[in-house]
This record gives sequence, structure tokens and C-alpha cells, in this order.
Amino acid sequence: MNKRREFDDILDECLERLLVKGETMEQCLESYPEQAAELRLLLSTAADTKEALAIEPRPEFKARARYQLLSALNELKPKRWLPFFLSWKPQWATALALFLALLLAGGGTVAAAGSSMPDTLLYPVKLATEQVQLVLTPSSLGKAGLYARLADKRVEEIAYLVDSGQPEEIEPTAQRLENLLGLMAALPLAENGESKVMLAPGPTPAPPPPAAESGKDVRAPSNQRAKLKLLLERYAVDQPAVLRAALDRVPEAVKPTLRRLITESESSYEKTIATLD
Amino acid sequence: MQDEQRLVQQAQQGDKEAFARLYEGHFDKIYRYMFLRVGDRGEAEDMTQQVFLKALQSIPDFRWKGTPVSAWLFRIAHNLVIDYWRKEKKRATIPLDESVAGTGMNPELMAEYRLDIRQLVLATKRLTEAQREVIGLRFAGGLSVAEVAEAMGKSQGAVKALQHSAIVALRKALSAGEG
Repeated sequence: MNKRREFDDILDECLERLLVKGETMEQCLESYPEQAAELRLLLSTAADTKEALAIEPRPEFKARARYQLLSALNELKPKRWLPFFLSWKPQWATALALFLALLLAGGGTVAAAGSSMPDTLLYPVKLATEQVQLVLTPSSLGKAGLYARLADKRVEEIAYLVDSGQPEEIEPTAQRLENLLGLMAALPLAENGESKVMLAPGPTPAPPPPAAESGKDVRAPSNQRAKLKLLLERYAVDQPAVLRAALDRVPEAVKPTLRRLITESESSYEKTIATLD
Repeated sequence: MQDEQRLVQQAQQGDKEAFARLYEGHFDKIYRYMFLRVGDRGEAEDMTQQVFLKALQSIPDFRWKGTPVSAWLFRIAHNLVIDYWRKEKKRATIPLDESVAGTGMNPELMAEYRLDIRQLVLATKRLTEAQREVIGLRFAGGLSVAEVAEAMGKSQGAVKALQHSAIVALRKALSAGEG
């Protein structure tokens, strides 16, 4: 038993020397000549395993993942902004508070949040609901349509902020709009390149639809692509137009933001539509 | 370790850059672990993203007790793998040859590594769950024995013994595959 334990320690030491410190196998075997035969076999398997696993994530995946994480980070509210009862510990208190809130407000809260604006209390609920929608939309085509519709909401909110005399408040919404457009334009929509893309998973990831369950790429029907293209072509005209119309009603300091959004909107839709052709 | 502790504290206070640095430091290791555990590039990519999004959700509740962040991240990863295989059991199994062949690596890397990865993923199927986990954490995740022990909730002695038996079993499985 002790001998076994001793060998486990020797093997571990040699693994560290070989795989972490960069020593050769022979150097380690010299330290333990009595165990050299057994060690040689195991260290060689370990070295092969390590070498086989020297794989790197695809750069485009890594870039997309980083972008999506940063986007999720931007959507997060700092904890201190939460109402006191939501930041209070222990956790059951949070659950209780949410339960009471839902009991009092019912499903109407979420429904009401759908049309809320950035200066209202329910706006964080609206953003959270959108995140859930994104999680539940696994296909790239579905996500593209959803990103475009959410971008349309952001444009509507910017127009509202301008109309209600709060043009200085548009920056956070502008950033959200840019994130959505960037994510949409980064989607792999080419017919031979579309693949399942998961964004922000909930505690238990939603099961993919049957067609995606094989884990393989899903070839969408051409009418779905055509519908998406029509939608994007409409938004490609409408959204920059709304932003342009707002340009005349904002102070000079806000104009660069709107101009940036117009350019971003036009190029993102152009790029996304091109990948659908 | 102190740097990591500071990054965690900053991330908990809403510092996005701190969380991004934690992410950058562990992304590739988590991806390799996921690839080995699920044997499919697409799934490994999705699940790697899920690990960090779950970490983002739960970092406010992370309590620093000297446990390395990597052990915490790999515990999230491990739970996702368990969930994945539970769901996979209910579905038709993806032929391994097909899933591994679709690694999507660039041709140079593929020529160099494809056969090894294919063999390795197949060989780990013959290991016990605990052995697979040790191989995944030690060789794909690059964790130390102490970190593996933390992630698996075992003593370091138990992990060393498991590591030994896992390498022996892996060697046997690879030899059987060659024959």
C-alpha cells in the first residue's frame, strides 16, 4: 500500500518535471532507476496525451465568444444599482422577494416591460427578457432576425429619448444598439457556414430544436432565408432613417454618436444581407 | 494567486476588464477540456461559452477561500459536461468518427493532430468517469494536482492515485485501439 502511494507521488513529480518544467523523460528516469521501466511507459502515454491536446480554439470562434461575453458584460447592471431587497443576502430572501413581486404583479410585469423605455423602472426587465429570448433562439438565422428586431427597439428608444428631451441619455442605448448590430453581422449565415450558435445560457441550457439535436449544422429552408432577407432589407432602410431624422433634434454634442450609429447600422445590415445571398 | 484574488474582487465589484482578464487566462484550457470531454468541436465551443456566461452570472456569489479560480471554472465546466451526457443518453449517439473528423481545425493542425485526438477521445471512452475527469483536468486543463483535488472535492493523495490508474487505463485503451 505504502509502495503504491510512493509510486503515485513519484509519477506525479515526474509529470510535473516533464510537462510543466520542461525536463526530459530521461532526467526523471535517472532520478528513479528502480521504477524507470514502469515510469517510462506511463510518462510516454502522458506526453502523447498532452501533445494530442495541444489544440487551439478557432480564432473566429474565440473572437465571437469574446464579443458575446463583452456584450453580456455590458448588459449587466452593477450590483449596487439593484434595489436593496434584491442585493440583500441570504439568497432565499432574493427568491422570496422575486416570488412576492411576481405574485403581486403576475405575468403582466413582463408584458408591461416589453414596451418600457430606458427611463422607466421596468426597463431592466425588458433587457433581461430579451436575453432569455436570445438563449431560446439557437439557430443563426433565428438569432439574426432577433438581433435585428432588438436593434429596432433600441432605435425606437433612442428616438423616444430624443423626443422626450433627454438626448444626453442615449449613450448606453447607443452602445447596446452597436453590440446588437455587431453580433448580427458576425453571425455565420452563409449557406454552407451556418451553424448553431448559443449565446447566454440560463442555469439549465434550453434544449435545441429537433433539427439541431445532432449537433451538426442546420440548413435552413430557403424561404426562411428569404423572409429574413426581406426583414433586414426593411430595417436597413428604416433604422438609419429614424436616426437621421433624430439628428436635427439633438444638440451638437450628441450628433457624433448618432452619425456613428447611422454608419454602423448601414454597414452591419449591408454585410449581413450580403451573407444571405 | 494574489493577482487572481484581486481580479476576482474587482470583477465582483463590476470591473468588466477584470472579468475579461480572468476569461482570457482560462479560455483555451476550458476549451481543450470541453473538447476532450464531449469530442465535438461545435459542442465544445458552445459549452466553453456557457462556462464563462455561467461564471459571469455567479461571480457575485464567489467566496474567496484560497481556492483557485480555475478550480471553480472547471467545476462549472464539469457540471455542464454531466448535463450534456445526461441529455445525450436520451438522443441517438453521434458517431465519434464523424464528430471528431469535423474538428474544423486548419489543415496544418489537422494533419498533425487529428489522429491523436481521435484516438485519445475514443480511448477515454473506456475510462471511468473519475479517470476521464482527471485526464481532462490535468492534461487538457493544465491544473496541478492540488487544483484538481479542489475541483473534484478529493484529497491530493486520492487524485494522484486516480491519475496513476487513469494513465494506465488510457495506455491500455490506446494499445487496444492500435491492434
